[in-house]
Amino acid sequence: MEKNYIDYIESALQGAPDKNGTLYRYKRRVLDQMTARAAEVTHAGLRDDKVLTDLLISEFPDLSGGYARFCAEDQKERHKKLVNKVMLFGTPALAILLLVLFLAVSFLTDAWRLTWLIFADGFLLWAVFLLGVGVARLTAMRRLMHPIARLLLALAVMCADTAVFLLVLMFTGLSAAWVIFPAGVVGILLADAVYAQATRQKLRIINYLVYIPVAATMLYVVLGGLRLLPWSPGWLLVPLAVLVDLILVIAAVSNNAKYKYDPEVEQAWNGN
Amino acid sequence: MERKLNAELWDKMHYLFRDFNDRMVHVELHYDFEIDIEALKTVLICFFEKAPVLHSSFHDNHISPCWNVKPYTIEDVLTVAYPEDLEAAVNDFLTQYIPPDSDLQMKVAVFYKDGGSTLCIVENHMCMDGGDFKYFMKALCQNYSAYVGQGVSPIELREGSRSYEAVYEDFSKTEQRMARNLYKNVCAKDEHKFPLTPDSIRDRAFIAKRKWSADTFLRIHAAGKKLGATVNDMLLAAYFYSLYELAHYDPSDSVTISCAIDLRRHIKDVSDEGLTNHTAFMQCNIPERGRDIFETLRYAVQSSQKFKHDKFMGLYGLPLLKLGYSILPHAASEEIIKIGYSNPLLAMSNIGILEADKLALDGHEPTDGFMTGAVKYKPYVLLSVTSLRKALTLSMCVRGNEEDRATVERFFDLMEHSIELLTGEPVQ
Repeated sequence: MEKNYIDYIESALQGAPDKNGTLYRYKRRVLDQMTARAAEVTHAGLRDDKVLTDLLISEFPDLSGGYARFCAEDQKERHKKLVNKVMLFGTPALAILLLVLFLAVSFLTDAWRLTWLIFADGFLLWAVFLLGVGVARLTAMRRLMHPIARLLLALAVMCADTAVFLLVLMFTGLSAAWVIFPAGVVGILLADAVYAQATRQKLRIINYLVYIPVAATMLYVVLGGLRLLPWSPGWLLVPLAVLVDLILVIAAVSNNAKYKYDPEVEQAWNGN
Repeated sequence: MERKLNAELWDKMHYLFRDFNDRMVHVELHYDFEIDIEALKTVLICFFEKAPVLHSSFHDNHISPCWNVKPYTIEDVLTVAYPEDLEAAVNDFLTQYIPPDSDLQMKVAVFYKDGGSTLCIVENHMCMDGGDFKYFMKALCQNYSAYVGQGVSPIELREGSRSYEAVYEDFSKTEQRMARNLYKNVCAKDEHKFPLTPDSIRDRAFIAKRKWSADTFLRIHAAGKKLGATVNDMLLAAYFYSLYELAHYDPSDSVTISCAIDLRRHIKDVSDEGLTNHTAFMQCNIPERGRDIFETLRYAVQSSQKFKHDKFMGLYGLPLLKLGYSILPHAASEEIIKIGYSNPLLAMSNIGILEADKLALDGHEPTDGFMTGAVKYKPYVLLSVTSLRKALTLSMCVRGNEEDRATVERFFDLMEHSIELLTGEPVQ
């Protein structure tokens, strides 16, 4: 029996390219699956060997396509393993690297007041990388996991924002550096809106409608804090955002109205 | 590891119908030869492997239900018997109930009697509707014939997605968006009931049927042509007219009968679709009984024409159901949907033609047979209609008592009388 499956697998994958033993692994996997299925179907009561072989072959109709998918999955798996290794060994390696860098720069420049930033920002940016990997992996999973991915994305933006804040504060001593935090909130909302759009989240328009006034309020605080915009009439940014929301709602409603099916109108047109 | 299958929208919807019917679909076919059991077993195993939902158990985990594929043996599926009383054996087999959490969702029986065979199949409506069950039966017979005759492996059964979304795939982008925006509750709101007795724990499921000859079918067809009505319209008008008399409705009352429609009309090519449900209901309504049955027919034709001109016929409730099942865990969704859903009290399903040539087993066409829908729980009723070699079989599956059976038989008498009025000749 097994010989029939082996013959089928060999003939279907004749001339298929092999990379690092992938072809053998794929063939072995298909053969194991076919053998397991044969045992199941025989247990159900099928006694005709020819029918059993034909049935199982019909369950594996496109081995070349299956092999191409297997190779792609294999590639993905290798990449994932590499990233895992980077994450596992990267943290201690980064700690040593940052320590060496910190000590070297500190002794060379004697700027001990500033060089601790190498540690702080280095780890914050490492956290951004780790969170980014988490976002990518969760996004590839079921939609049920997307809210967690969005939460990690917000954390990543906040880490990056904190890194920028520390740099600006320590190098410029700007008293208005605190505005970087409300700016970070704008960044979080923007990143989340982009994520929602890119992953085509359902009812994302509700997100936009909430984010626009909140982001406008934060922007008002940032611009006011930096004295780029007077507090009054700068507050007009907030009602302006509500107006943008209103326009967005009207646009969405009128766009949806185009797709409203009215059989009576349609019949009248067809009649004409 | 146990294989899992998605519980599709219609699977969940039919699961919800557990309060209204037993969800079993039935078929009975008589042959004048003895079916080769070993060959039939081979075909059935192949089909069960091609459609794993048939040997799966429905797992309602309250959050997101699914089907768990289960091991089975063909002996669990197929019953072979040599009964003394064929009618009683067939009736007992057909009125059985398969729980959704059992390991098999289809049961088959072959009864031998006097050199002939009766093939009976019962399946869970959650797996497939009458449309696909008809296809399944044709494929079963054709594969059996090819296997017995030419030794061809019986593996020609459609496989693919069971998703309800197939109904949208052949629309243009704009039409798809329109169809997906049809958020409308299309449930029947009519309170008129079939006059059955109150519920009782002594009630038992039964299948009442009435057969009309091919001559009667031809007469209905010819009369319908003259009156500008289809056979379905004629039957529907007779159904309405008989109900007014049977249940003593006020002639000025408006009555609604829900008619099953096959949503595969929206799919150009079903060859890559799996066995599933694609059935919706249209509410055929007449404003009053009318002065005579011809006026009733005019109302019935007007009502069905209104639906036939609709590009998105039958697609109205789907987006709302989809929304209902997507936003909350399954248990909560069911409660929400139950609030908005009202099961039709009166329904009709014209399953259509059972093609004798395509249901032939090794060259032997069925001598008789019919297909019918689920056993309804009172006060709900469903009239099913099938035709085999132009002979019509009307059937009604009810969980009731002898008085209910007599009421259904009286209803069939009235249907015959109504058809007699429409065609001008008695029903044979």
